[in-house]
Amino acid sequence: MRVFLTLLRREWLAYVYAPSMYWVVVIFLLLMGTSFGMMVHILAEGAATGSVVRMLIGESLFFWLAMLMVVPMITMRQFAEERKLGTVETLLTAPVGDVAIVLAKFSAAWVFFLMLWLPTAAYAWLLARISPESAPIDFSALMTSYIGIAAMGAFFIAIGLLASSLTSNQAVAAVITFAVLCGYFFWGFMPQFGRGVQLQEVGRYTSSLMHMLEFSRGVLDTRPLVFYLSVTLFLLFSTVKVVEAQKWRS
Amino acid sequence: MISVKHLTKVYHGHKAVDDVSFEVERGEVVGFLGPNGAGKTTTMRILTGYLAATGGDVKVAGFDVVTESLEVRRRIGYLPESVPLYPDMRVDEYLRFRARIKRLPSRRLRSMVGEVKERCGLQGMGRELIGRLSRGYRQRVGLADALVHDPELLILDEPTLGLDPNQNRQVRDLIGDLANRHTILLCTHILPEVEKTCSRVLIINQGRIVASDTPEQLKLAQATGHRIRVQVKGPASAVENALMTLPHVQSVTVLKDGPWVDARVESAREIDLRSNVFDLVVQEGWLLRELREDNWSLEDVYLNVTGLPNKSGREIQP
Repeated sequence: MRVFLTLLRREWLAYVYAPSMYWVVVIFLLLMGTSFGMMVHILAEGAATGSVVRMLIGESLFFWLAMLMVVPMITMRQFAEERKLGTVETLLTAPVGDVAIVLAKFSAAWVFFLMLWLPTAAYAWLLARISPESAPIDFSALMTSYIGIAAMGAFFIAIGLLASSLTSNQAVAAVITFAVLCGYFFWGFMPQFGRGVQLQEVGRYTSSLMHMLEFSRGVLDTRPLVFYLSVTLFLLFSTVKVVEAQKWRS
Repeated sequence: MISVKHLTKVYHGHKAVDDVSFEVERGEVVGFLGPNGAGKTTTMRILTGYLAATGGDVKVAGFDVVTESLEVRRRIGYLPESVPLYPDMRVDEYLRFRARIKRLPSRRLRSMVGEVKERCGLQGMGRELIGRLSRGYRQRVGLADALVHDPELLILDEPTLGLDPNQNRQVRDLIGDLANRHTILLCTHILPEVEKTCSRVLIINQGRIVASDTPEQLKLAQATGHRIRVQVKGPASAVENALMTLPHVQSVTVLKDGPWVDARVESAREIDLRSNVFDLVVQEGWLLRELREDNWSLEDVYLNVTGLPNKSGREIQP
C-alpha cells in the first residue's frame, strides 16, 4: 500500500510538473466555458426546452468534445513517456508489482481528470447569481451527472492507458485513444439508427450518449455504472498483461 | 549469489544469449566483458527480471528470476546502461521516491539517502533538477539509486560511461569500496578498470561465455609464451633476422621500423630471453634503449578470445 501511494504521488506530481498539462486545463475550460456560455445564451433568449444540466452536459456538443479530446491528452504520456525515457527499465526492475504500477498510473490520471471538473461546479453558483428567478439548476441532476462523468471517465482513461502501454510514441498513443473514443461515441447513436432490434438493444445498453442524457436528467441507473466499472477493470487487466508480455518479447 | 544455467534468449530472431552458464559467489566482484551486441545487456536484463529468458534456469540469492521476481528485485541494485531518470524530479525527491518503492523502511530513508549521496559525490545537489544535470552527475544519481536500498547484489552496466578521467577514478574507487559489502557484477569496456577492481572476469562473445577466471589466470592461460619488448638501433632486417636466430624464439613482431627498431619477441613460456638479447646487441655492436618484459594484458586476452585481430606490425615466424 505504501508503495502504491508512493507511485501514485509520483504519477500525480508528474502531471502537476508538466507544462503541457496546463494546456489541457486551458482547452478543457475553454470547451466547457463555451458550453456554459451557449446555455446561458439559450436561457436568455427564453428558448430553453430541457433542463439546464442537460443543456450543459448531456446535449452539449462542447461537452462531448471535451470528453473526447482531453482524455487522450491526459493518458498519452503514461507508459509511452516511460518507454521513451527508458525509465520503464528502472521502474519494472524495482520490487513493485505490475498491478500496482498500472493502478497508480490509472488513479493519477483519473484524479487529474476529476480535478478538471471541479471548476465546473462554479457554473451552478454563477447561474444562480446571474438570474435567481429563471430556471434554477437541479442539484441532484448535477450530482448524477458528475457520477456519470466519473464512471465514463474511468472507462475512457483505461482505454488511453492501454493505448499508451502499446507504444513508446505519445502522439501515436493519443491518436489511437482519440480514434477509439470517437468510434465508441458514434456507436452511441446505434439505438436511433441501428438496424434490427438486437443491435438497438445492445446500443441502448452501451451508448455513452444515452447514458449521459439519463445521468444529466437526474436518473442514477446502476446498469451503466456496472457496465463502465466492468469494462474499466477488463481494460486495466489487459494493460497489466501487456506490460507483463513485454518481458517475453523476442 | 547468481546462478545461471543454460540460459538462452532469442531476441529479434537470433540467439542473443546462447546456452550461457556461470556462477557468481557472494562477495565476488565480477567483470562482465564482451563486444557490443555480445549479449551482456540482455543477460543483465534477464537477471534483473526486465526480460524473461527463452530457456534455462536463472537464480539470484536462491530465488528464481521469473517465479520469485519480486524477491530477486528486492536484492538487486541495477544501473542500466542508458541511466534512465525522470528529468522533472529533483535529486533528493528522486532518491527518496526510489528508496520508497524499493521498500526501504521509513526510519532508514533519510540516513540512507544522505549516505548514498555522500558516497556518490552528490552532496549539495539535492535540490537540483535532474533534467539539468550533466552526464557525470546523472551517472552518479543512477549509481546512488542502485545503492539506496543497500542491495546484496549490484548490477552495473557501464557505470563509467561518459565520465571524465577524474570522475572515472572516483567511481572506480567507489566500486572498490563497495566490493567489501556487496556482490558486484560490473559490465564495462574499460579493461584496466576491470584489472584493478574485479576478482574474476567473464567474457561473453556472440552470446556465449568464452572465458571465465581471475584476470591473472586468464593472462597465464591465454599467453602462448613469454614476451619481451626490445628497442634497438640497427638495420631493421638484420635485427629481425638476428633475433630470429636466438634459441627458443617463437616469433618476432616488428612494431616500428626506423632508426630505432621496436620489436616484440616471443619465446616458450618459461624462457626469459632478455639476457640473450642483451648479449646479441653487444655482440653486434648495436645500441639498446629498451629491454623489458611485455606480459599479456587483459586487453590481449580480451582481443584474443573475442576473435579480433591483435596484430600490429609484421610478424615473422621461424
